[in-house]
Amino acid sequence: MNNVEMDKDLYTDNYSVQNKKSLWLRIWQHRLYYLFMLPGIIWFVVFAYIPMYGLTVAFKDFSFVGGITGSEWSGLKYFKEFFNFYQAWDIIRNTLIISLMKLVIGFPMPIILALLLNEVKVLKFKKTVQTISYLPHFISWIVVVTILQRMLTPYGGPINEIIASLGFSKIQFLGNLDYFYQIIILSDIWKAAGFGAIIYLAAISGVDQQLYESAKMDGANRFRQVWHITLPAIRPVMVIMFLLACGGIMTVGYEQLLLLNTPATASIGTVLDVHVIQSGLEQGRISYATAVGLFQSIIGVILIIIANSISKKVNETSLW
Amino acid sequence: MRKKWSWFSIFNYTLLAVFAFSTLYPFIYILAYSLSDGAEAMKHPIYFLPRGFTFENYIQIFQDSTFLNAYVITVSRTVIGTSLHVFLSALFAYALTKKDLPGRSFFTFFIFIPSIFSGGMIPNFILFRELGLINNFWVYVFPFLFSFFHIIIIRTFFDQLPKSLEESAQIDGASNFRIFMSIILPLSRPVLATIALFQGVFHWNDWFTGAYFVTDEALRPVQTLLNELLTESEALANAAQRSSQSGTTVSSGLINVTPESLRMATLIIATLPIICIYPFLQKYFVKGVMVGSIKG
Repeated sequence: MNNVEMDKDLYTDNYSVQNKKSLWLRIWQHRLYYLFMLPGIIWFVVFAYIPMYGLTVAFKDFSFVGGITGSEWSGLKYFKEFFNFYQAWDIIRNTLIISLMKLVIGFPMPIILALLLNEVKVLKFKKTVQTISYLPHFISWIVVVTILQRMLTPYGGPINEIIASLGFSKIQFLGNLDYFYQIIILSDIWKAAGFGAIIYLAAISGVDQQLYESAKMDGANRFRQVWHITLPAIRPVMVIMFLLACGGIMTVGYEQLLLLNTPATASIGTVLDVHVIQSGLEQGRISYATAVGLFQSIIGVILIIIANSISKKVNETSLW
Repeated sequence: MRKKWSWFSIFNYTLLAVFAFSTLYPFIYILAYSLSDGAEAMKHPIYFLPRGFTFENYIQIFQDSTFLNAYVITVSRTVIGTSLHVFLSALFAYALTKKDLPGRSFFTFFIFIPSIFSGGMIPNFILFRELGLINNFWVYVFPFLFSFFHIIIIRTFFDQLPKSLEESAQIDGASNFRIFMSIILPLSRPVLATIALFQGVFHWNDWFTGAYFVTDEALRPVQTLLNELLTESEALANAAQRSSQSGTTVSSGLINVTPESLRMATLIIATLPIICIYPFLQKYFVKGVMVGSIKG
C-alpha cells in the first residue's frame, strides 16, 4: 500500500509546475513544514532507530559502564546460551501453543460476533450490545486480572459459590495447570472480540444490498446469503487481519501472561516475552535478554513475510 | 407489519444478550463488592447487590495519601502525555499532507519502518537509562510521543478537508502556522478526539512502565499500585478468609473495611473515568479504527 503511495508522489513530483523551481528553493519554501516535523524526526531517531542500533548488544558483553558502543563483542555467545538453556524449547513451544490457540479459537470470534450483530434488526438492541462489547478493550490487563481473580477465587468468589451450591467441590482456577490455557484464551476473547468486530461490521455494511435482494429472489435463505455473499465480501479484510495475526505469532501479549503466569504454571505459561522481561529487566542479564528478543522478532518478521507471500499467490490480497 | 420471530432470531438475540451480560457482569459484581461492608462481603457471597451498603471503602481510599499520590501521577501523565502526543502528531501529519514537500515519501517511509521492526524491550531500557529517564516522571511521556498509525489516521483526515479553505485563508494573508492552528485543528476535532481517546486510554491503563522503569514509590501510577495490590492481596485476602473474622479487618465504627473491599473500590475508581468517556466517542473511534486498519 505504501508503494502505491510513493509512486503517486513521484508522479506528481515529476509533473508539477513546482518542479521547475530548484530543489533548494522548494525546500526553503517548505521550511515551516520541516519545522513541524522536527520534533517527530528527532523522536523517531532517538526512540525508534537508536534502540534498533541497541540490538547490537545481543552480540556484545553489555555493561552499563561501557554502554552500547563501548562493550566488548561476544559473537553468538548469548544466542548459544539461550538454545543451550534447558527450558528454551519449552518456552518456544509454550509461545507457539498459546499463539496458535489464540489464532484458531480467538481469530474467528470477532467475525462471528459481527455476523450475528448484522442479523439484529432491532437497532437499539444492536447499539447497546455493541457499546457494551467495546468496554473490555478500554480496560487494562491489571483490572481484567484483578476481576478474574475475584470472580474465580474459591474464597467467596461468585463462580465457585455457584459451583458449591450445585453440590460440586470448589475449584482453584488460577495458578492451576488444568485451567491455565482456558483462562488465557477466554480472557483474551472477552477482552478483544467486541472491539475486533468493528472492522468486520464496517466491511459488512459496505456490501451492496442488491446482492441480498437478488439472492432472496433466487430463494437463498439467510445462511446461504451469509455464506455466498457476506463472507466472500469481507474476505479481503479477513485475510489482512489474519496476516497481521500471523506476524504476531511470536508475541503472545506479554501483559496478560506476565500477570496470569504464576510459578505454579511456569512450565506451560512462560513464553518468550515473559522470559525476556524476567531475564533482562528483573535479573539484569541485558545481552542475553536482547539476544532472545532479537531471535523472537526475526522469526516474527520471517513469519509475516512467508504468510504474506503465500497469501499473495492464493488470495491475491497482501499487506504489501 | 407483524415481526416474524424465527428460531434463528430467538437464538441470536439470546446469544448476544448472554454475551453482553457476561461482559457487563464482572463490573456489576466489583461495583457491588466495593459498596459492601468488607467483613460482610467475606462471610456471604455477593452476586448483584452490596452487602451492608456503605461508601466507607471509597472514603478510606480518598484519605489514603499513597492512593491520592498515585492518582495525581496518573492524571498528570494522561493529560500531559495525551495533549503533547495529539498536538505533535497533528503537526507531523499536517506537513505530510503537503504533496509537493521535498522528501515527503522518504519521511513517510522513515516513520513506517519502526512499525514493523523495533528494537524491543531491552534496548529501550538501555536507552531510558542513558537518557536518565529511569525513576523520572518523563519516562511516562517521552517514549510515547509519536505513533506511526496515529499520524497516518490524522493525515488521512486532513487530506479530506477541502483545500479551498486553506487557499482562501492564504489569500487573506494568514500565515501557514495560523492556518494550521485556527482552521485545520478546529475542523479536525473528530479525529483529534479519537487519537486523544486511544492515547489517553493507553496512558491511563499503562502499569508496565511504572512497574519496570520506576522504583520510586512517589512516582507510581494507579495501575501499578493495583498491580502491587494484586500480588499482595491474593495471599492476604485468602488468609483473612480462612480465619474468617481475623485481625486484618480494619474497624471504623460499625463498618468493616478489608484489603479486598478497598481493592475493589480502587479498581472502580481506576476504571470509571474511561467507562464514562468512551461511549460518547464511539462514533469517532469506530471511524478511526477503520482508517487505521486500511492504511496500516
